[in-house]
Amino acid sequence: MNQTVVSYLSQYEFYDTLLALFKNNQGALAFTIYLLLSLAIVGMCATIGGLGTYAERKISADLQARIGPNRVGPYGLLQMLADGVKMMTKEDIMPFTADKMLFYLAPLLCLTGVFATLAVLPFSGGFIMADLNVGIFYLVAISSLVGVGVFLGGYASNSKWSMLGGMRGASQIISYEIPVTISILAITLLSGGMSFGTIVGHQGGLPHEWFIFHNPFSFLAFFVYGVGALAETNRAPFDLPEAESELVSGYHTEYTGMRFGFFALAEYIEVFVVCGVAASLFLGGYQVPGISLDILPIQAVQFVIFMTKTLLLYYVVIWIRWTFPRLRVDQLMAVCWKYLTPIAIFNLVGCAIWTVAFNGKSIAELIFGGGH
Amino acid sequence: MIPASFDGLMPVVIFMGLAVLLFFGGHYASVLLAPKKPSHLKSTPYECGEQPVGSAWSMFNVRFYVVGLIFIIFDVESVLMFPVASIFRELNDMGQGGYALIIFLSFISVLIEGIAYCWRKGDLDWVKSFQSSLKKETK
Amino acid sequence: MFIQLLFASSATLTVGCALGVLATKNLMHSCIFLLGSLMGVAGLFATLGADFVAVTQIMVYMGGVVILMLFAVMLTGGKDFISRAQNLLGLPSSMGNKWTYSVGGLVGLVLLLTNIRLISNVMNSHAPKVIGDEYPSTVSQIGHLLVKDHVLAFEISSVLLLGALVGAAIIARPRKQK
Repeated sequence: MNQTVVSYLSQYEFYDTLLALFKNNQGALAFTIYLLLSLAIVGMCATIGGLGTYAERKISADLQARIGPNRVGPYGLLQMLADGVKMMTKEDIMPFTADKMLFYLAPLLCLTGVFATLAVLPFSGGFIMADLNVGIFYLVAISSLVGVGVFLGGYASNSKWSMLGGMRGASQIISYEIPVTISILAITLLSGGMSFGTIVGHQGGLPHEWFIFHNPFSFLAFFVYGVGALAETNRAPFDLPEAESELVSGYHTEYTGMRFGFFALAEYIEVFVVCGVAASLFLGGYQVPGISLDILPIQAVQFVIFMTKTLLLYYVVIWIRWTFPRLRVDQLMAVCWKYLTPIAIFNLVGCAIWTVAFNGKSIAELIFGGGH
Repeated sequence: MIPASFDGLMPVVIFMGLAVLLFFGGHYASVLLAPKKPSHLKSTPYECGEQPVGSAWSMFNVRFYVVGLIFIIFDVESVLMFPVASIFRELNDMGQGGYALIIFLSFISVLIEGIAYCWRKGDLDWVKSFQSSLKKETK
Repeated sequence: MFIQLLFASSATLTVGCALGVLATKNLMHSCIFLLGSLMGVAGLFATLGADFVAVTQIMVYMGGVVILMLFAVMLTGGKDFISRAQNLLGLPSSMGNKWTYSVGGLVGLVLLLTNIRLISNVMNSHAPKVIGDEYPSTVSQIGHLLVKDHVLAFEISSVLLLGALVGAAIIARPRKQK
């Protein structure tokens, strides 16, 4: 039995009046609620993705002592709308050598892989579309569709730059999935469950109750996860698949207009998702400090807390992009297989031993005794 | 309450459906709005302004394949470890922590052996593996 | 209603894409059809309530095996990946002779009968019980079974995977130049 947003809402009275409106058809009401909320989440994430492109330019401008976009709307905030309109009115060009079916399909795979992860992202205690029992495992699994999409994007274009970018991208995404998965395993081990509800529920609102400060190993695991997640989303310093100075634009060199827009949208939403996962796995997620009540207004506070943590991480991701130089391909693989994977396994073993040795208590509980 | 069988599945399917809808909607919008003036030169693959030479679909290095193979092994191992990890705490609370730890560590130690072997033999090197292994064999 | 729709669409996806794998002569397209087919299988597992197996299907097959296949196709290179026109009767002799075909046909027949026997069991029992009462979820049940009843299989599987890893590394290593 999985907790979902519908089963959460069904404990309130207005659910029954809604049910009466739907002539007691549970399935239809559940479908309607899911559909409306998914539309809201997709809209929100698309906005965040759009704002991400704006933030990216503005922050990079800041870091390089420039002004950045400032013409469209106040402070250039409407830049993303202008970009969106521009993308739609650009001509769709497909290389005549391309594999037409796969050329169409590649952005769809990226988009599906990213959107499907939104279903389990815990925005707040109740506002999680489906708190699947296999939550985090499902998220890791379905986001690997992006790797196939990137590869196909590169392959189908039949351009040398795209092909190189696609091959690099796919091998990079699958390689870095290993340290990320093993870091997530460490957190699964500490929390005793794969569902986001369990994982966030085992943490508290205050920093010493977060999993990042649970023990030294989980502290390391956070950084392993962070580096791996950066690489999985093709963000700098791991943006080799689209390295503009060597591969023109990598796997989406031949993509124009709306199809390019889908790749970009998927990438920016994926960054948001991995930030959200990092926030809920390691940084306490939506937990409100000091309040254990479960009423509807608290959900709003939880939502704000989750978004704050996620967007702060988003800022860090952009900051990293404009601070570090790009890695070489051989360095990229060496970082993954020779540093991150052994460290991640070490963390997993450490977390297992810690759980048995200290009976699952965190450092703070050991020092101050008892805990909460 | 809603039936237990499809409680969590529906949002997943809806999100995938929304992705497909957005994809086709975007395509439709671009069909309506975008200009359509195809020309041969426009649709040649980009090669820095030169005439493209040959096809991009050529033989790729075997190292990508090696990475894929090693990835699948680790993938399967992590799939097997996930259920055990998720009940580890429960077992520990039941007083079987030591037993669970031994099982878990013996599983991981075999995994470590695997990665140590590949490291030692140079399969994890991106560039040097071919030269170094050839050198070893010619000695 | 929803579960029937999901089943119908998953089954259609599985069978349709499997036919696509057979019908297309382009290796890359076959791989992508296979991806769709495997997605359908994951959907079928999900309709049965086996969430962990469904996600494993996605993780290992769609995220791993299909990418490996795509890499393997890229290894072969060549101008295009369109295979030669073939049908069952015109198979080259390197792919088997009448003995291999008859043995293969026999094995296939046995497998088919076994499957029919298995499926008939499932068909007869209504509403299959997926999770034991004492477990909150399939994951917990799988975990408990792995560390208690099937602990030997769990440990041996890691040795098997080690063998696979070493074998993969050795096969992919460059041979001595002659």
